[in-house]
Amino acid sequence: MLEDPSYESVVRWGNEGDSFVVLENEKFTKTILPKHFKHSNFASFVRQLNKYDFHKVRQNNEENGQSPYGPGAWEFKHPEFKANNKDSLDNIRRKAPAPRKQAQGGDEVLATQQMDLVNTQLVATQQQLQQLQERYNELSIHHSMLLQELIGIQKTVVNHEHVMQNVMSFLHSVDARQRRDSRIGGNPFAQGPGPGALAGNGPVDTPAQQLQFDDEPASPLQNASKLLNETNADILLNIRNLEQMNEMQMRINGTLTTPPPDALRNGVTPTSHPASSAQALAFSKANNDLGDIVYPVGQTNGIDPMYSEHINNIPYPMPKDADMNDPRKQFAEGRKKSTQVDPGWIRPPQILLVEDDPTCRRIGSKFLYSFRCAIDSALDGLEAVNKMNAGSKYDLVLMDIIMPNLDGVSACHLIRQFDSTPIIAMTSNIRSDDISMYFQHGMNDVLPKPFTKDGLLHVLEKHLGHLKKVPEGIEALGQAPGAGVQSISQGSTRQSLKDEDSPGKSPATSSWQSPSQYSAVSTAANSLPDEYMQTMRTAYGMDGSVQHPGGLQYPQAQMPMNAARQQGHRRQASELGSGDEMGNDPKRQRMFIPHGNPAMHTMPRSGPG
Amino acid sequence: MPGAKDIAETRSEEGSTGFPDFGDSIDPPTFEQILEMDDDEDEREFSKSIVYGFFEQAEGTFTKMETSLANGDLAQLSSLGHFLKGSSATLGLTKVKDSCEKIQHFGAKKDETGTVDEADDQVCLQRIKDTLVDVKAEYSEAEKLLKKFYHDPS
Repeated sequence: MLEDPSYESVVRWGNEGDSFVVLENEKFTKTILPKHFKHSNFASFVRQLNKYDFHKVRQNNEENGQSPYGPGAWEFKHPEFKANNKDSLDNIRRKAPAPRKQAQGGDEVLATQQMDLVNTQLVATQQQLQQLQERYNELSIHHSMLLQELIGIQKTVVNHEHVMQNVMSFLHSVDARQRRDSRIGGNPFAQGPGPGALAGNGPVDTPAQQLQFDDEPASPLQNASKLLNETNADILLNIRNLEQMNEMQMRINGTLTTPPPDALRNGVTPTSHPASSAQALAFSKANNDLGDIVYPVGQTNGIDPMYSEHINNIPYPMPKDADMNDPRKQFAEGRKKSTQVDPGWIRPPQILLVEDDPTCRRIGSKFLYSFRCAIDSALDGLEAVNKMNAGSKYDLVLMDIIMPNLDGVSACHLIRQFDSTPIIAMTSNIRSDDISMYFQHGMNDVLPKPFTKDGLLHVLEKHLGHLKKVPEGIEALGQAPGAGVQSISQGSTRQSLKDEDSPGKSPATSSWQSPSQYSAVSTAANSLPDEYMQTMRTAYGMDGSVQHPGGLQYPQAQMPMNAARQQGHRRQASELGSGDEMGNDPKRQRMFIPHGNPAMHTMPRSGPG
Repeated sequence: MPGAKDIAETRSEEGSTGFPDFGDSIDPPTFEQILEMDDDEDEREFSKSIVYGFFEQAEGTFTKMETSLANGDLAQLSSLGHFLKGSSATLGLTKVKDSCEKIQHFGAKKDETGTVDEADDQVCLQRIKDTLVDVKAEYSEAEKLLKKFYHDPS
């Protein structure tokens, strides 16, 4: 149907072949809907499409927002819907019914769907961005062409003016000569008041004479002069127009590329801006992937994750404070030489240490252990590849280079065939060509040997930023009080997804979902009794869960699955951790109770939608 | 810390007094960060097991080097040099590390900086032989200091 040329003007494939476009709503509704679909109005058709996971490609900028298919066109998109791929049509299925009901069940399927949805939105947004980019490029080309033409015209006009002036001066001289001649010949024009003046002839002309004299013969010339002046003004006018155009162009570009700072602030100030979570999500996701590239301001308004100032605007004490109150931390600091440097992971990072030298391996393990990492070791590259191939998941691999059986570079090369976990080369060979060779084979960084504690910690923090607790802590604070069931389940399941494939993600991913959290804070924060805030604070201070603020994140009653997950983490931690970690466990369990209540309490007020 | 507990028995009753002066045999910051890992500054169980483990490793490596030297196996010598270089560097045994690096280069048929090729195997072997004598002496010195630090009478 989409390929039918007779419908070309009404509905057809999109330019990229991955969407279809309804060009004229009315015709589509009248002719095509009754014929091909069992729908009689456009809206219900669109609803149906949405149920099959088709999404309208939004035109996101009102000022510039003409779609390439013309105004009033509706473009629909589905990831499996391709002009050249009929097979994938089978993958387009009706979505599982009623996502909202599922949401209340807190089901993982929902979150996966929402991830899909977000992904589709992301793809759509990216395409829009690309379209905008293309359009912008096109416009700039046009603009520069126009400017050039205008400059050309301007030059021509100036030339013309010069010519005219020449002509004018020539005419003036001719005119003057004529007048002189005519006066000499008793020109009737010279109707001077007195005959004496006539005889005076020239320099001694009276003012009155002068007046008439000027007045009279110049009339055609004067007109010409006037005209010339007008053209001059026209040129001025033209220049002004040009400038205006320029400004306009700049303004449009400006809104496209950089949102005005106050727009950013609006998104940031949590109390004033309950941005819809879908928007915020799409926005932050796009932002993450595109870095600091263009993003639209119009409909999607949110926080720039790259823009860190908002952290200071959070109306909660930073988890840092909690750190200070943590007795264990103080205890650790109280020791003369702290062997327990706690970088503050949300869970112990899983590290694979690949090292053939027992001394290095043991010291490395010890350091990692003191950084609260979970360590696995392999004696050579072969063992490392086997371990990873067997499905062991790590957050980071520290790889010696020169090892028996299989060297680190080859091992890395092999691992890269099936896994993207960050791999750090540990080596004393750090000449620049060595290093570039490591990177060529998929290494992510180099840790010079002999490594130091600080160097190791630095690498860990650099590559495991997504496991750091600070942003997660904020998230937990934001989520627990305000967000209703839906948002909690969303967040948590997304969290679990993220955990599973976290290695290889950039550190920025840890905060990508934050905008929705902040908006959640915004709705609830004000209505929360101070008492509760106090509870929160003391909760952080008292129980030892600072490394696992995730444990606080989900009220247990609502999220049994996640509680289980968190316990899984905790168990790992306590296996490795010291005894007091164990001792804290029951305490932490109890913490869920005061925690869950306020969340339930505020739910009706600030629930989803 | 398997395999090293037996050595730990030999500790003396005296507590250690701050950080000892190892001269230029041992790089203080490097060694200190290992000492920091000790849970108990009197027992020094961890660092001691590391250091004594290293002793075993080094002596084993020297033996292997002698064998490889007799066999004229330059590649093996280079690899052994590299191996001991890593652990000695991690402990901060700077001199031992430097000599091991030389052996690594000589074994790879280079000069001692690893930049100029040396075609003659015999020259390389002879250089390794000389360096091996040096490195053993350097190691002995460091070993003595370390054993003293751990109050080991042997």
